Amino acid sequence: MEDLFIIIYNWLVSLLSGWGVGPVLVDIILGVLGSVLIVAYLLTLALFIIWVERKLVARIQDRIGPNRVGPWGLFQNIADVLKLLTKEIIIPDGADLVPFMLAPMIAVASVFMIWAALPFTRNAVGTNVSIGVLYIVAVSSLSIMAVLMAGWSSNNKYALLGAFRGVAMLVSYEVPMILTLLVPVFLTGSMRVNEIVGAQTIWYVIAMPIAAVIFYIANHAEAGRSPFDMLEAESEIVAGFHIEYSGMAFAMFYLAEFLHAFTISALTATLFFGGWRGPFVEQVPTLGIIYFFIKTFAIYLFNVWARGTLVRLRIDQIMSFCWKFLVPIALILLVLSMLVDKIATGIIPNYLDTTLLGMLPRTGILLLVNLVVGALAFGWIARTGRRERERLESRQIAPVERPAAGQQAK
Amino acid sequence: MKEWTFIAIIAVVSLATPAAPILIGKLIGPRKPNTLKNATYECGVETVGDTWVQFKVQYYIFALVFLVFDIEVVFLYPWAVAYNQLPLFGVIEGVIFIIILAAALIYAWRKGALEWT
Amino acid sequence: MKEISPEATSDVKSVDAVELLSRKFPGSIKPDDRKGYEGIVVDSSKLPEVATAIRDELGFDLLANLSYVDYPEEGVFEVVYNAYNTAVGGKGLTFRVRTSRDEAEIPSLIGVWPGVDFQEREAWDLMGIRFSGHPDLRRILLWEGFAGHPMRKDWREPFYEEDNKPYGTRWPEGQVQRAEMKTPYGMNVQYPGGFKLEGWEPEGEEALYAGLGTPLGIGPDIHQIKTDQLIVNLGPQHPSTHGVFRMAVTVDGETITRLKPVFGYLHRNHEQIGERNTWLQNMPFTDRLDYFSSLANNLAYAISVEKMMGQEIPERADLLRVLMVELTRIQNHYSAIGFLLNDLGAFFTPVLYALTERELILDLFEATTGSRMMCNYMRFGGLAYDLPSYIGGPAIKEGDRERELDTMKFIKGLVYERLPRATDMLDRYLTNNEVLVNRLKGVGVLPGDRAIAYSATGPVLRASGVPYDLRRADPYSIYNEFDFDVAVRYNGDSYDRYLIRLDEVRQSLRILEQVVPRLEETEGQEYMGGKRSYNHRVPAGDHYGHAENPKGELGFHLVSDGGGNPYRYHVRSPSFINLTALEEMCVGHKVADIIVILGSIDIVLGEVDR
Repeated sequence: MEDLFIIIYNWLVSLLSGWGVGPVLVDIILGVLGSVLIVAYLLTLALFIIWVERKLVARIQDRIGPNRVGPWGLFQNIADVLKLLTKEIIIPDGADLVPFMLAPMIAVASVFMIWAALPFTRNAVGTNVSIGVLYIVAVSSLSIMAVLMAGWSSNNKYALLGAFRGVAMLVSYEVPMILTLLVPVFLTGSMRVNEIVGAQTIWYVIAMPIAAVIFYIANHAEAGRSPFDMLEAESEIVAGFHIEYSGMAFAMFYLAEFLHAFTISALTATLFFGGWRGPFVEQVPTLGIIYFFIKTFAIYLFNVWARGTLVRLRIDQIMSFCWKFLVPIALILLVLSMLVDKIATGIIPNYLDTTLLGMLPRTGILLLVNLVVGALAFGWIARTGRRERERLESRQIAPVERPAAGQQAK
Repeated sequence: MKEWTFIAIIAVVSLATPAAPILIGKLIGPRKPNTLKNATYECGVETVGDTWVQFKVQYYIFALVFLVFDIEVVFLYPWAVAYNQLPLFGVIEGVIFIIILAAALIYAWRKGALEWT
Repeated sequence: MKEISPEATSDVKSVDAVELLSRKFPGSIKPDDRKGYEGIVVDSSKLPEVATAIRDELGFDLLANLSYVDYPEEGVFEVVYNAYNTAVGGKGLTFRVRTSRDEAEIPSLIGVWPGVDFQEREAWDLMGIRFSGHPDLRRILLWEGFAGHPMRKDWREPFYEEDNKPYGTRWPEGQVQRAEMKTPYGMNVQYPGGFKLEGWEPEGEEALYAGLGTPLGIGPDIHQIKTDQLIVNLGPQHPSTHGVFRMAVTVDGETITRLKPVFGYLHRNHEQIGERNTWLQNMPFTDRLDYFSSLANNLAYAISVEKMMGQEIPERADLLRVLMVELTRIQNHYSAIGFLLNDLGAFFTPVLYALTERELILDLFEATTGSRMMCNYMRFGGLAYDLPSYIGGPAIKEGDRERELDTMKFIKGLVYERLPRATDMLDRYLTNNEVLVNRLKGVGVLPGDRAIAYSATGPVLRASGVPYDLRRADPYSIYNEFDFDVAVRYNGDSYDRYLIRLDEVRQSLRILEQVVPRLEETEGQEYMGGKRSYNHRVPAGDHYGHAENPKGELGFHLVSDGGGNPYRYHVRSPSFINLTALEEMCVGHKVADIIVILGSIDIVLGEVDR
């Protein structure tokens, strides 16, 4: 069966050509249509995932969650958007107007633009650029710009603190993220996202679980969700970098935050969990979109779970975790798996085969490397944790010598 | 080229999408600025001193370390794409590059650049 | 730790103290021989030396309270200090200093007990007594432009009517008149002469910020690169300051270099109101001090006044008091732990689970006293009501149907099943959480000797390795009839302040397990001793009564002139004094940590600002 998206695409191309539209213009018109489709779809999705998150967190907290507007409170977010739409957008005195207003737009745009390179099915992908993975890294770091612009231009000390610590954290976690992003690239031998998905007859998470975990953690931090919510840190710096925003400008940051959290789940699903791949997807390619979203939502639930349960780390702990744990582990993992993989290529025949059975030896060998590195990493972090506690305990004060409690009672 | 056209288009669309509600919000929302409302929020107290100061240097050190890593790692991407075609020696060359990177990390670590104080 | 001299036993009589001190400071010490008064009167010129001797030689190392009384007829202000011995407990030593009303100035004790810092500022603010040698004698509860010192007996507020309640009929002719038309002051607010509201800048701000160093002061960096420090205000309108509390901090990057707490946003001159009220009328006002534990406040006030009246209390009333106060302690500690987790950045999950249990306890309070938070339950000589026979409410549901439950059954369910389980649940999910441990351990360390010097009490003191619990150290009510341990932890960091709350909940449950059977035995007995009265007369005298509240030592310094109203009603609020140590605990930590440290002290602004 032909992919639904291909049918529609071909029909549109022939329709437009029939009207005598030139091929370049057809590309542009279809490009506009496609991007509007992606954006509109993401906006709808955002309303839904915010509802899902609110409901889930409510259940985690033994509450009911939104249940007044619409069935099961489904339209709560629409009501919220309408309310925010009628609120004044306050521009504080001394704010730097251009970056102040540009920041929320860039925050949202950076998330939207990631989706241009994510394949929904085998054929339905916004753009299959040859440097897809690098493109994703590049546009997702635009959100860091947005944070810095918002924090600096607000002329507010909390915003400044939030932006500085946020940017420090975001740029740091960029490093383990792009290091582990190398893994699917070298396994596939391509930076095209759709080819990476296509090569995952066996999901890369099975071959490289440690890389997948590091990638997910780094991305989790990039999205600024708990326990990495340094940017906002409601209990410390009130709302962090977007403290001076109100009305729709604030809503855009809110939208960007939730969409980013969802997007990193989609990224992880695409790069490590086989994206649109699933049973019968060869026969019915349109099924891919369903598999893709099932996987994405499953990963997203972890995100919500973390948000509902974990407490925030301190900035120095977050930075240490990145630079002194994730980056070294990612480097070691990368070096070891590349070397072992290359040596194995020379020894085992048909090592680079991409059929299900043919991938087994490579997966097995890489999994072994991962397990070794993972064991080392856990041993190391356990030891460091123990030492840190011992250090803290050695700083502790000596007990004050006193008579036993309650001695003089009765 | 077609692919890059799409990226150009989606860049415009995704910038316009958030711009539209902000603009609508500006249009239909009330606009009654006053001195108190527009004052910088600092928990209800008037802010003292300049906000845009020479901030602590630690943040810049992290930015520098990041810059080094980011650029070096980006150089690894073409090599990773060609990985399957490379001989073992080519991989070892890349590995040496990564080890140099790791040496930089260890250097920064020992120098205390990774300590957040 | 300093040596505790052999004289320092729990029953150092004032007489012994007088002897010892008079030998050392001839002519400066004399016993207070007024009827109903105790302690010694110290000559103000020798005060710091005498205080040092009291601390070091007599062993009274904890200065619990500083109070101040105005005697306009004699033309003096009297500052009253109550010092206690944390090592052996027992009765404390009261010493007083008198100074003339016209030039009220006495030496500051901040060098002996740093914990008097805020209390001396309060005395300056409300009474106008100067403390020479105090480094930062600014107003503390009132704003800098306030005219006069409102605790003076000759101070008249706007809308002043009469000195004491009950007021006479406002409109004897039946003609409705607005009170503000009658008062000679007329306007709602008094301003100093020459004051204009427009363009007014708070004067105190400059003094406050001057204490923090210049905003653009250059601080040396570890890398020897000069960077600017930033002055940031955390609060009053801040999500995690537990109310309208403000901390002005200087940050270098994210590290705190100076911190000054600012409060008074909720100030209502509780003490002046208390002096206008009759003795009993103050009972509902004490609810509003620490509004999380109103029943414990009730108890502290009730025992203080009963002590002065010499009132006997029936057994059942005592049992019910202990029941209510220990339940109050449990629910307070639950919320404290929950909100501490909120401060740590948990997205409301722990606090909601903690509040679930709290609601059940509040159900009992509501059924018994008629109110969930402002209970106003205790009376001099007993209680307002006995336990109700049944308890109902939305929290006690079976399916969708609300139902009613036998009260004793409900209490037993709480004490024997629900609360122990909830405590274990909090313990299991929180105590060993890696992130939580790393965020709390080694943060905000307050060593035991510093805690004593700062007059810290309650969980803050006990988490620093000082097992000083008034229920044992200076037993009141019937606490000496129960078997329980004083919870103590030794590291003095935020983690221990978290753990000690769990410990105390467990000890409270232990007490409750002993209370419940005795409650059943005494069912139907009298719960009110003596004559019920609306207008008690309290014999003339001076008394400092205190009780172990969930947040620390709540003390009432009461002076009676034999009339129906307190002559002086001073509240020693634990949250207020525990905050004295805040700067020392916070300096050197990150912005994120000070919120946590504040959360681990567990303050309530109703009590801080009074």
